[in-house]
Amino acid sequence: MNPNSSCYQVLIDQLREQMGYDFVSLAFAESAVNDFILTWKYASGNLNNRYKRIVLQSGKGVAGIVFKTGNPMLVSSVAEGLDPQEMYNYPILISERLSSLAAIPLYLADRVEGVLLAGYRGEQRMSQEGLNQLYGWLQGRFGDFEIKELTP
Amino acid sequence: MNPSSLNIPVELLYKHFEHSSDAIIFFDAVHRVMSMNPQAERLLDRRVLEEPSDADSNAFCFSCRGYTSEEEPMSCLNCYLSNSEKDFSSFQLYLETKTKGVVPFSASFQTVDRAAGVRVLILRDLTNQLMTQQMLNRNTMMKSVIKAQEDERKRISRELHDSVAQELISSLVDLRVLKYLNVQEEALQKIQQTEASLTRLLEQIRNLSVELRPASLDDLGLDAAFRSHFKWIEKNYGVLVRFVAELSGQRFNSEVETVVYRVCQESVLNALKYADVDEVDVRLFASEHMLELIVSDRGIGFDVNTNDPKGTGLGIYGMKERAELVGGEVMITSGLGKGTTVHLRVPFGAVSP
Repeated sequence: MNPNSSCYQVLIDQLREQMGYDFVSLAFAESAVNDFILTWKYASGNLNNRYKRIVLQSGKGVAGIVFKTGNPMLVSSVAEGLDPQEMYNYPILISERLSSLAAIPLYLADRVEGVLLAGYRGEQRMSQEGLNQLYGWLQGRFGDFEIKELTP
Repeated sequence: MNPSSLNIPVELLYKHFEHSSDAIIFFDAVHRVMSMNPQAERLLDRRVLEEPSDADSNAFCFSCRGYTSEEEPMSCLNCYLSNSEKDFSSFQLYLETKTKGVVPFSASFQTVDRAAGVRVLILRDLTNQLMTQQMLNRNTMMKSVIKAQEDERKRISRELHDSVAQELISSLVDLRVLKYLNVQEEALQKIQQTEASLTRLLEQIRNLSVELRPASLDDLGLDAAFRSHFKWIEKNYGVLVRFVAELSGQRFNSEVETVVYRVCQESVLNALKYADVDEVDVRLFASEHMLELIVSDRGIGFDVNTNDPKGTGLGIYGMKERAELVGGEVMITSGLGKGTTVHLRVPFGAVSP
């Protein structure tokens, strides 16, 4: 994997355009020496550059949770699904004002190495159906990464 | 009896009855309302004057919700109307009023004509007094809660930092020694894994300790504690805190430093939760007798006069309480679209009473 490869910016731009998402971003985990901290490396449709400053510990934030559990995360409605008091534990939701999102783990040699997030700001909702469509678009691959089949 | 008291003109007594802000109600020997003054009429439903439908019930019970006894806040046991033994010269009574619902009254019930069994009930609205009392209780309670919380955090944080983390470090050292002994390759790998997870655990414990209460606040002072806290904020929330400290390492009373730290923490957290900003400015400086902290953002702001908090609404209240603990004050200026500024001023070396 070469996380600095420019192909990822192109990929997420394409994904956002073709699927009609408001925001798509990509987080990579650092090595064990750095305690597997996660940072958002690429973003498409971002409102500001706040995402660049965010550093997540494994298990914290959207990327941290997906990284640690290895399972996709679906929040159809941020307003209904998350307690406003807990919102600030998910900085990306605040800085990008997302109202609905899904995040999926990206595998490399059977280890989660990255997290792909796609979301909406407006009325549109990310449903289970929407998540399936995202998996359909990805067809098991994202750049160098492997995407595990969605198990119901 | 003092003869001068008998010289009171009857019209004066009548005027007192007519214009008193206290409700005055006369009862006859069978607990029926004989008459009441205009204030009482304003308060109570007319139905208390009606004849009861049966002999056992009492028309006044229609309004009365009971008095405060040792056992209950609103009790009907040993009713003041029928019980002649117990002293009811001063007690607290709850009545259903026409306009304000159930209201607490300070009441006094006395016999004025022993032969005819006529008694008088005088009522004074207690709402304001009780509110003041409640506020006072709440304030003192809040202060002790804040102090207890701070002390407990300090204790746990110290415990984690000084004993749990230290123990962990010595086991880590032991583990590293193990690597240099003659061990099999397989065991060596396992040791390395354990070392990595112990290192992570140590890091988590340290974070926990700092989150509870940074040891640097006690050891190095506000400047250092703020710097590491803001770095943490930037990493965790993506919000940049521009910090300017003009203290040059000056130290203050530990209580003052705690208050400044907590108020700043709360204000910055509020800014990043609600203000919708990427940057917050924090300035810490000492004026002649005051240690001052200014936290400002250029975010969406809020109307300081409306009482419609986005969160619990306790944050700002807590900040003010904390500041009062050390004789300081918090000023919050904000307006929709104008950003928010929190200005804390604390006198140096002030010790809580």
